Amino acid sequence: MDQILLFAVLGLGQGALIAGIALGVVVTYRGSGIINLATGAVAMASAYIFWALTSGFFGFTLPTVAALIGALVAALAIGVLIEVAVFRPLRTVSPLAKLAASLGILLTLQATVLLVFGTQPQQAPSVLPGETVTVLGITTPADRFLLTGLVIAIALALGALYRWSRFGLATRAASENEQAALLAGLSPNGISLANTLLAALVAGLLGVLAAPIVQVDSITLPLQVVPALAAALFAGFTSLWIACTAGILIGVLQSIVYFLSTQSWFPTDNGNAMPGLQQLLVFVLMVVALYVRGAGLPRRGEAVEQRLPAVPLPERLLRPALLAAVVAAAALVVLPFDFRQALTNSMIGMVIVLSYVVITGYVGQISVMQLAISGTAGFALSHVAIQLRVPFPFDALGATLLATLLGVAAGISALRVRGVSLAVVTLAAALAMEQALFGNTSFGGTAGVSVPPPRLFGVNLGPGADFRGLDGNEPSPMFGFLVLAVTVVLGLYVAHLRRTGLGRRMLAVRSNERAAAAAGVDVRAVKIAAFAISSFIASVAGTLYGYNFGSVSAARFTALAALGLIGFAYIGGITMVSGAVIAGLMSTEALLPHALDKWFGIKGTWALLFGGVSLIVTLIANPDGIAGAGHRRRAAKRAARAAARVSEPDGPHPEGEHHAPAALDTTEVAS
Amino acid sequence: MSTPVLEVSGLTAGYDGAPVVRDVDLTVAAGQVVALLGANGAGKTTTLKAISALLRPMAGTVTFAGTPLDRIPAATRARLGIAHVPEGRGIFSGLTVAEHLRLGHRGERLDEAAAYRYFPVLSRLKDRRAGLLSGGEQQMLAMGRALARRPKLLLLDELSLGLAPIIVEELLPVVRRYADDSGCGVLLVEQHVGLALEVADHGYVLSHGEITTHAAARELDADQARIVAGYLGEHPV
Repeated sequence: MDQILLFAVLGLGQGALIAGIALGVVVTYRGSGIINLATGAVAMASAYIFWALTSGFFGFTLPTVAALIGALVAALAIGVLIEVAVFRPLRTVSPLAKLAASLGILLTLQATVLLVFGTQPQQAPSVLPGETVTVLGITTPADRFLLTGLVIAIALALGALYRWSRFGLATRAASENEQAALLAGLSPNGISLANTLLAALVAGLLGVLAAPIVQVDSITLPLQVVPALAAALFAGFTSLWIACTAGILIGVLQSIVYFLSTQSWFPTDNGNAMPGLQQLLVFVLMVVALYVRGAGLPRRGEAVEQRLPAVPLPERLLRPALLAAVVAAAALVVLPFDFRQALTNSMIGMVIVLSYVVITGYVGQISVMQLAISGTAGFALSHVAIQLRVPFPFDALGATLLATLLGVAAGISALRVRGVSLAVVTLAAALAMEQALFGNTSFGGTAGVSVPPPRLFGVNLGPGADFRGLDGNEPSPMFGFLVLAVTVVLGLYVAHLRRTGLGRRMLAVRSNERAAAAAGVDVRAVKIAAFAISSFIASVAGTLYGYNFGSVSAARFTALAALGLIGFAYIGGITMVSGAVIAGLMSTEALLPHALDKWFGIKGTWALLFGGVSLIVTLIANPDGIAGAGHRRRAAKRAARAAARVSEPDGPHPEGEHHAPAALDTTEVAS
Repeated sequence: MSTPVLEVSGLTAGYDGAPVVRDVDLTVAAGQVVALLGANGAGKTTTLKAISALLRPMAGTVTFAGTPLDRIPAATRARLGIAHVPEGRGIFSGLTVAEHLRLGHRGERLDEAAAYRYFPVLSRLKDRRAGLLSGGEQQMLAMGRALARRPKLLLLDELSLGLAPIIVEELLPVVRRYADDSGCGVLLVEQHVGLALEVADHGYVLSHGEITTHAAARELDADQARIVAGYLGEHPV
């Protein structure tokens, strides 16, 4: 019992950090309506700068207090940058696009920290006194209590600020009705800036103070935003004291779970305690929070209409598909082996992004889980093929089916959760699956599980096949052909889906679920269909991953990798198949990063930075992505040609009938 | 006559590059109540939005108490003394009545007493959240808040929207009284033509985005045919 109490107290440190980030999340949401996934990353950046200032990284060493002030100034500077460069230009976009933008900030901050400070985890000195106190017979470090007291004091101060001050009143007013706030002489920009700065200050302070407890690296602190989001969900993104309490309690619970996992009766995996239970706990808590609070977030009254990215109707399918297939097939034979591998990786990346085109582009829901479903399929493939000795292609089909069922089950249970809440809860799910499922050696394991090469009628279709292309090296183009065939078929299917009745119903659900339901669209059925199609595509990609490397490892299917992939999908154009092609070319170990690395020596971290920044730029300047911009240009050219033809009396009529079903989406009508 | 509170000339405004109102001229003097009439879609709300800068006009000038407003943004115009009660009331449903009357920009103290004086009902409802008020009470709160800001120009958009006629009959005379007491100029958009002309000094009729007729309110009231012509889009003979 004493032990449990001890671990509960130790967990207060983590809890205070989570509570601090949760306060930052709530304050940002109240100020600007953005669920800022980068709040943890701000804490990370401050912690790193504090470490750098105290350890002589910049060539000088500051005393602790001065370094703390320096780190807080840096947090404020990051806050100003975030507000001016990201939040302000994106005031009027949809909440989901704002969430994606905060993802861009997260990736950018992470890449910057990696580039400046390196990958080595650092141990920052403690600001708080290192003494111990004895409470109820147990001796614990005093800093846990100090941190908790501090975060509670911050929550109370913020609460009082919002309740009674003019600024708090203005913030509440502006978050409810931006236009009326303007008419009242309030400046929503100024209010938003002040709140963003407050959030950055709180997150930065807790990052610095709690860093000695958790360790400073580029993953742990940014991902603390996930339990913080669980706390914020309990608080309905409004109540500061609930966010604070829930954050502290989550930290305490995680610590108790850790203690329990050291007990002898605790289920083990290969001699170690079951992994990932803390992440699983966070996910379960999020589900509970959504159940208790209802799925909706407080509605905000932004001043301007929110525009969704256009989903143009694909006019021609076969010609570009055939052309691309021929080019890719030729490239697979001609290219040297490393580029061949990169091309194969690109195509697998395209397939994964296609699953996002369906679920995010067509139906407007961000499900971070899709990559985890890929992973599930990959690991399942290994088990089905090796332990059950199922031959190709039935092993892949079985694994795909299994993972698709998981995706559909997740989709059905998430039917009532939509938009930003869905993105948040699937992020927690992805993290839980990464740790608890893929990290568990009886199913996955970080070391990886092997996958036998695909053989059909005795012909090896895997990367080790005999036909080796022009340079005679592995991987074999045979496997590339297999991936190409799958990519083309799925790409054609997704493009075709846009033309079908189901595709139009998906767009109707994306625009307005209630209106769609009122128009006779079965919203639930459409969503389940979308989850099924998207999960199927993601699962296929997962099995291809498995064959590609002859093994599956957890590192490929992390939640952070999923976030990066969503970023690339937005940059390419999340609503179009051509966007998925572009996103695939940019994804991890694909052609673009490989070429940059090989020819210019630009490493992956720079690609991460590039991805983060271009995600933000894309959302601000060109929400339809690269593919959407290209499509607009072509459409304008065609319209100009058609106009020229119409002016000749006998000229053929422009292809107007193709656009008839597009009336579902107002942006298409306008263009 | 002294400088008018509001002078709009050659105003063209609309959405996404398509003009809704074209070449509108109108004037509101201090203490004057001016009614802006017209059928649905005539451009009444658009005109008000362009005056308070919720919408950037495509052409024309808005002059407030002798100063051209040009590109001054909405929040600043509000601080200069333009109070716009938008369609749908523009209140904050999560804030209490008392909080509404405390909510000012930096350095501003609202005249709570005035709000309670003109709308005595509100003093009973001080601690109630605005979302829980009835439609009429919400409209009184919106107007009360606007009055408490001591505006020089009050823009009222469809006070009667969704309200029982009997409540409108109560609200409009308050507008008149306030204009007389304070010398504030009022530009009033209203569907209830008769009620509006009863309290107004002057009336403008907007039709398909253009002012087709304007005259003293009494004259317009007497000659309803001109308004009907305006509503139906015909120019007066």
